[in-house]
Amino acid sequence: MIEIRNVSKQFFSLKALDNVNIQVGRGEVVGLLGPNGAGKTTLFKLIAGLLHPDSGQIRPSNGRWPAIGYKPDRLLFPNRLRISTYLTMMASLCGIPPEDQEKAVFDALVEVDLVSQASKRIGDCSKGMRQRLGLAQAIMGNAPLLLLDEPSNGLDPNGQAEMQALIKKLHAAGRTIVISSHQLEEITAVCTQLIILNNGQVHYQNSMVEALTISPHTIIQADRDLAEIADLVRAQHPEIRVEGNKIQLRGEAMKLRREILALLLQAQYDVLHVEQKHVTLAEIYARAVR
Amino acid sequence: MIQRISVLTRYFIQSLLFSLTGLFYLLLMLAFWFVLFNPQQQTPDVAYYQLLIGAFGAGLVFLVTLSMAARANDAQHYPFVVRLKSRVEFVTAVLLSSILVTLFYQLLLAILALLNGPSLTLGHLLEIPPIWLAPMMMTAVLALHASDFITIGWSRIYVFGILAILLFGQGLQNDSLARFATGLSRYAINQGWVQISTNLDNYANTLAQTNENIISRLFGFVFWPFEALADGITNGYFTANQALAPAILLLYAIVLFLLAVDLFANKDLEFTE
Repeated sequence: MIEIRNVSKQFFSLKALDNVNIQVGRGEVVGLLGPNGAGKTTLFKLIAGLLHPDSGQIRPSNGRWPAIGYKPDRLLFPNRLRISTYLTMMASLCGIPPEDQEKAVFDALVEVDLVSQASKRIGDCSKGMRQRLGLAQAIMGNAPLLLLDEPSNGLDPNGQAEMQALIKKLHAAGRTIVISSHQLEEITAVCTQLIILNNGQVHYQNSMVEALTISPHTIIQADRDLAEIADLVRAQHPEIRVEGNKIQLRGEAMKLRREILALLLQAQYDVLHVEQKHVTLAEIYARAVR
Repeated sequence: MIQRISVLTRYFIQSLLFSLTGLFYLLLMLAFWFVLFNPQQQTPDVAYYQLLIGAFGAGLVFLVTLSMAARANDAQHYPFVVRLKSRVEFVTAVLLSSILVTLFYQLLLAILALLNGPSLTLGHLLEIPPIWLAPMMMTAVLALHASDFITIGWSRIYVFGILAILLFGQGLQNDSLARFATGLSRYAINQGWVQISTNLDNYANTLAQTNENIISRLFGFVFWPFEALADGITNGYFTANQALAPAILLLYAIVLFLLAVDLFANKDLEFTE
């Protein structure tokens, strides 16, 4: 849907984005991860057309820019307006005909569970409600591309679960979503693509399924420290690591699981736990931003 | 497009009118009325009425546009801008709302000033819209250029720098120009540029002997519509040439507005948070 090619953006001496290449496919949910100052918000603003790249190109794959719903990270709204008034205004700006605006506003309020608060002034809303309102204005008008900058920030656990459910629902409805978050569980749960930014550069980019299925490994946990037989175990295969009372088998070494278990039992160790594991998002993230 | 501009215009008008800034402008208008159209004093004539209220509108629209642009330049408007088909709609709404808010205060003042004021004929009333609106549009667009909302880099300096140079040029007198030309002539002779020095000397002599101030007239041509408008009002009638002045002012305003739109369309939007 959107191609980002060799995009760089600098603010005075700060290089916010440096030669970034990303492809956002139609119907994907792209998760943007990265520490504060990595360039996530700058990337959102570039896609939204609020900033212009210093070099490189951002363009729609089919040559026509889709309508964009944008939820900025900062929850700033016209505080004197009521929620429903604000959303009606957004509906007008989305080009929804006046006769359909009431329904569009109601639908958006239902989606984010704000129906009962529709007449409340935005200035009186809690952070969680403002977060929902930000999402409501972004999904207004069925924009095919949603840019959600930290949508769960400030929501309680129930609110976060509802937000995840809503993003999944929007994805199922065919919307393309780019989402940034510091909550790895949320990214794991809702995203189909993963991009990790650090210091303005893409440090990792993969599909979520592939990201989480690479580097499978087996952990064998013994009842006590394995120092006595550590060398013997390591000698079985170069991809075997022994740390404390744990043995980690990677790649081809995973096929030697039975032999390693036999060695342990022979040496009078009790095996407490054997687990087949995949790499976690936290591990991928830690490696990418190291 | 019309729907989006009108929604944004309504929003900006409400946000300013129902704010402390709006109240301040109301008080400013009342003070202006009380000082310059005091109903306890004698009835002002029509020219005074037209000129002062026009000048009030032109001055106020500058302040109102600055306030409006500052409000529009707020991070809470990112979602609005993203939804628009073109950024032109956003700038148009800011300009339109500034002019409408000013017109509201100006009309209030105009009505108040009629208390013990001049009796206006239909002819006078028909004269008012071009006299008041044209300078107001022009000043509003200049205020846009003065605001952070539109400015990119040095653009503000260029626009107002050119304006300052034109004003300076208009104020130049023959004798000061003659002195300047003589100084240049001396510099040229020291450099051995005899022909240039002779030409500059001749020019200085011509300037000293003539009453015609060519440079001043050349620069002043740009400001002719303002003078023509003021002259027309104070004379009580407009000549055929003077009647063109509002149209020329509108043309200036359109050119400057197109420049403002182009600047806004090409700038990185870093609204205030």
